[in-house]
Amino acid sequence: MVTSTSLVNPSVLAPFGVVATGSLVVLLLEVLVGKRQSFLGRPVTREFVGTLLSGVSSIFLFIALIVAAQFFATMPGRIVFDPAHPMVAMDRLTAFATILVCIGSIFTCWLASTYLDELRIHHGEFYALLLLASSGMVLLVQSVDLVTLFMGIELMSIPIYALAGFARRDLRSNESALKYFLVGSFTSAILLYGMALLYGATGSTDFVQIRQAFDASNLLAIAGLGLLVVGFAFKVAAVPFHQWAPDVYEGAPTAVTSYMAVAVKVSAFVALLRIAIQAFGPMDARLSDLFWVLSAASIVVGNVMAVIQENVKRMLAYSSIANAGYILIGLAVGTEEAYAAVLFFLLVYLFMNVGAFAVVITLATGGKDRDRYEDYAGLSRTRPTLAALLTLFVVAQAGLPGTGGFIAKFILFSAALKQGFVWLPVIAILGSAVSFYYYLRLPVLMYTRDPEGAAPRMETSTGEGLVLCTCAVAVLLLGLFPAAGPGFLSHFRALEWVRETVALLG
Amino acid sequence: MSFAAGLFYVMAALAVVTALGMVLNLRNTVAGAMCLVVTMISLAVIYVVLDAHFVAVLQIMVYAGAILVLFLFVVMLLNLRSDAFTPSRATAPKVVGAAVGVAVLAAFLAKLPDALPKVAEIPADFGSYRQVGLALYRDYVVPFEVASFLLLAAVVGAVVLAKRRLS
Repeated sequence: MVTSTSLVNPSVLAPFGVVATGSLVVLLLEVLVGKRQSFLGRPVTREFVGTLLSGVSSIFLFIALIVAAQFFATMPGRIVFDPAHPMVAMDRLTAFATILVCIGSIFTCWLASTYLDELRIHHGEFYALLLLASSGMVLLVQSVDLVTLFMGIELMSIPIYALAGFARRDLRSNESALKYFLVGSFTSAILLYGMALLYGATGSTDFVQIRQAFDASNLLAIAGLGLLVVGFAFKVAAVPFHQWAPDVYEGAPTAVTSYMAVAVKVSAFVALLRIAIQAFGPMDARLSDLFWVLSAASIVVGNVMAVIQENVKRMLAYSSIANAGYILIGLAVGTEEAYAAVLFFLLVYLFMNVGAFAVVITLATGGKDRDRYEDYAGLSRTRPTLAALLTLFVVAQAGLPGTGGFIAKFILFSAALKQGFVWLPVIAILGSAVSFYYYLRLPVLMYTRDPEGAAPRMETSTGEGLVLCTCAVAVLLLGLFPAAGPGFLSHFRALEWVRETVALLG
Repeated sequence: MSFAAGLFYVMAALAVVTALGMVLNLRNTVAGAMCLVVTMISLAVIYVVLDAHFVAVLQIMVYAGAILVLFLFVVMLLNLRSDAFTPSRATAPKVVGAAVGVAVLAAFLAKLPDALPKVAEIPADFGSYRQVGLALYRDYVVPFEVASFLLLAAVVGAVVLAKRRLS
């Protein structure tokens, strides 16, 4: 019996393993601790169990983050699980994406603890589902095979269906979960159909072998590629596959919304990037056209629809659709510089978007979100620090100079212009101009109007404070630091990792 | 015509007829589900004809067994009356839907025969216990193990959404 056991690298799966093990530990810990009267000298209350599980979850995520960072720092190249059947790989791109996913999930743990108490839905299963979804994301960003890719997407999505409906007494949360579940199942079917066609056309599920066997004149292969892109367009909520996003984002508990808007998008985009580089690179012209149309439509529809929203969570949903449009510019352009710009954009997007949602979460009180625009009137009197932070985050999303949002858009658009794409940056800049209206509506309300209605929550928990501080510092640093030197992209070194990934295709 | 070829044509025809029976059986969901069982079993017989015995057993156990029982459970649990889902009166969506479906089918039928890759000779033991085992536990061991976490996620998610009272 010939086996290739000696060549297998189980260490590739270390970050996934840590996060997945964490979910089991959290599930067991809830049962074991929940039954006791006191634990570690503290009386066991629901709040105590919640805080404990939140802490344990973030420790596991932090270990995974350290492992990924270790890979990132010492990575000589690219290692795969089993050279004969790669399945999952670890390289700089994967390690970077894993770090982003872990940061996003840790933020969600910290934000959820107090928020779920406020909504009176603090159950330990939340953290188990969160860790399972995160492990799916880690698997997704390191997949180099259609089968693992699909498993990653499902493992990411299924826990999030349940998380979206976590506020079981809230009808909007029920609606959100059902809509996300139905659209998600539909998406899975489309993705699976695309994968089946690609397998039929190329005879393999491995990215590299697909690329070697890919024949652009083959109808089957093109149909498979198209369906695959449509499936991902659903997951990242790109127009015209976006209709579910506003309802789902609005109804889900806000901690889950921020997780969906950030972690899901980051991992889906990195997976799409890897497919574009590894399975279909050098960029197929038709694929580029497809991304062009998705990008332009998302920027226009996302920004225009965001203007007419009366609910901050819905506004942020449309703004995340517009952001998906900006990111798709990088995929349409398809140069290494554009891919690097996408990675930097994702990094900045993580902090500014979580930051904005964190403010919404910190204001939630009395079992309800404060997510209508009127709730923000006069916030500068009642919660001056939060008002200032929210202003920073929306200004960064609008792309004002001095914030990370500006730099991210700048290097993305200049990469597009350099490659001769003129219309996409023009549409994007016009879209950003429109976005100033709906982003700046919040600061205007907070600073010029008197407070009205019920008072917001007056205290910020430690977890929320940590998230808000980290996001604010990151948004500012990523905006100010690059101004120190012109060759910023070489500082950031994303270009180098993308080059490595492209170079290691064979 | 050999016995195997005759069996294939009979079973293929049965599969198509019962599949249509499932789709067109709008009034009675249980009858639709039973049609699906027959489809699955005729497919299993086709697998036997192809010498893929293990796949045939799996087809019966997983599809005809587990999945169909699940369907029937859901149908009976929801206890839908036949008038709960009256077919919609609007004809425009039906006509457009049918036209799109036929157009796509025509496009595929016109181009598909050329697009299909020439299939290499299938190894003699394809679909045998040994081959399925090797594929599952050697080539695809990572997705296979991940599937256990996927099931755990589904179980926890279902309990979270459906349990009457969470402690």
